[in-house]
Amino acid sequence: MMRMVIFLSHALTLIALLLPTAIADTARERPRLGHQLTALNAPVTAPDFQLMDMDEVIHSLGNNKGKVVLVNFWATWCPPCRREMPSMERLYQDLKDKNFTLFAINQMEDPDHVFAYTGQLEVDPTFTLLFDTTSEAAHAYNVNGLPTTYLIDKLGKIRYRAVGGREFDHLEVQTLIENLINE
Amino acid sequence: MTVITLLTLSCTKSPNVGIHQNKETGLLTYTVKNNGLSIEFIQLLPDFIRAIYGSHQFPSDEIETIASFCVFGTIIKNTSNGSVSYHVADWHFVSDGKKHPVKTKTQWIEQWRQAGINFSWTLLPDVSHFEVGDWQQGFTTIETMRKKPFDLVYTWKMNGEEHTSTIKNMACAPATLSENE
Repeated sequence: MMRMVIFLSHALTLIALLLPTAIADTARERPRLGHQLTALNAPVTAPDFQLMDMDEVIHSLGNNKGKVVLVNFWATWCPPCRREMPSMERLYQDLKDKNFTLFAINQMEDPDHVFAYTGQLEVDPTFTLLFDTTSEAAHAYNVNGLPTTYLIDKLGKIRYRAVGGREFDHLEVQTLIENLINE
Repeated sequence: MTVITLLTLSCTKSPNVGIHQNKETGLLTYTVKNNGLSIEFIQLLPDFIRAIYGSHQFPSDEIETIASFCVFGTIIKNTSNGSVSYHVADWHFVSDGKKHPVKTKTQWIEQWRQAGINFSWTLLPDVSHFEVGDWQQGFTTIETMRKKPFDLVYTWKMNGEEHTSTIKNMACAPATLSENE
C-alpha cells in the first residue's frame, strides 16, 4: 500500500513537472522571449535574504556587496522560467569572472523536486539555486508573478526589473550588466 | 460630445479573437491583441489542475474546488511602448444574460489561508503593472457550468487610458479529453 502511495506521489510530481510545459509548448509555438529590462527611476535598496542552496549552504545578498547580482524568482511549474534558464546559464558563464553573480530563487519547492527538474533542462545550471520555502524573500521583493528578475548594482540597489521571461544573454542585457560592473 | 462618443467606441470595439485548436488534445486557445495588450486564454483540463495542486500537497477538497472551476492558463503581455496595467477584480463574465465576477487570486489565497494552505503562486496576479517588454502568466478561474459558453469581459489601462474587450462564446475545457473526441 505504502509503495503504491509513493508511486502515485512520484507520478503526480512527474505530471506536474511535465504538463505545464507540454501544454504551453503544444498549444502552439511560442514567440521568442524579449530582452528588455525596465530601469527603475529611483533605485531602491534590495532586501537582503539568507537562503539555502541545494547543498544546504546559506547564501545572502549582503555577502555579495561589490558584485552586480541578478536575482531571479522562479518555480519548476512555470513554463517561462524553464525557457529563460538556459540564457541565464550562458550569461553566467560569460560574466561569472567579472564581479557578477546570479541567484535563482525557487519558490516553495523542495530540493529533490528541483534536482529532478534541472536534470531535464537542456543545460544544467551552474549558477546558485536557492530555496525560498515560505516565499518570504519573494514577498520582500514584491514579486507577484513568476518569473520576476531584478538586477542589483554593486551598492546593493535595484537598478532594473523584468516581469516575465527574458533572453538574459542578449547583447543588450550583457552590456547593461557590464556597465554596472564598470561603475 | 462627438469626441466622447468616438473615444467610447474605440474603447469598446469588439476585438479580433484568434482561436487555435491543439491538434493532439482538441483544447482551445483564445488570443486577442489590441491596444497595447496581448492576452491568451488556454483551456486547461481539470486533471491538469488536480496534478498542479496535488503536487503542492493541497487537501483534496481544495483541489476539487478549484478543479471544478473553468480554469484557463492566461498569458498577458504588454505589446505597447508604454505602460500597461490590469485589475482582475474589474473583469467579469456574462452567462445566461447575467454578469458574474471572476474569482481573484486574493480571494483564492484567503480561502486557502483559512484551510491552512500557505501557497500563493500559479494564479494570475490580481493587479499587475507592466513596463515595456513585461508579461506574465497564471490561471484565470471562472465559476460556471462546464458546458455552458460565456462572454468574458476584461479591462486594462494603456498609458492611463482604460480599454475593454469581450471574448464572446468562450468554452471551458471538457471534464476529460475523451469528451473532445
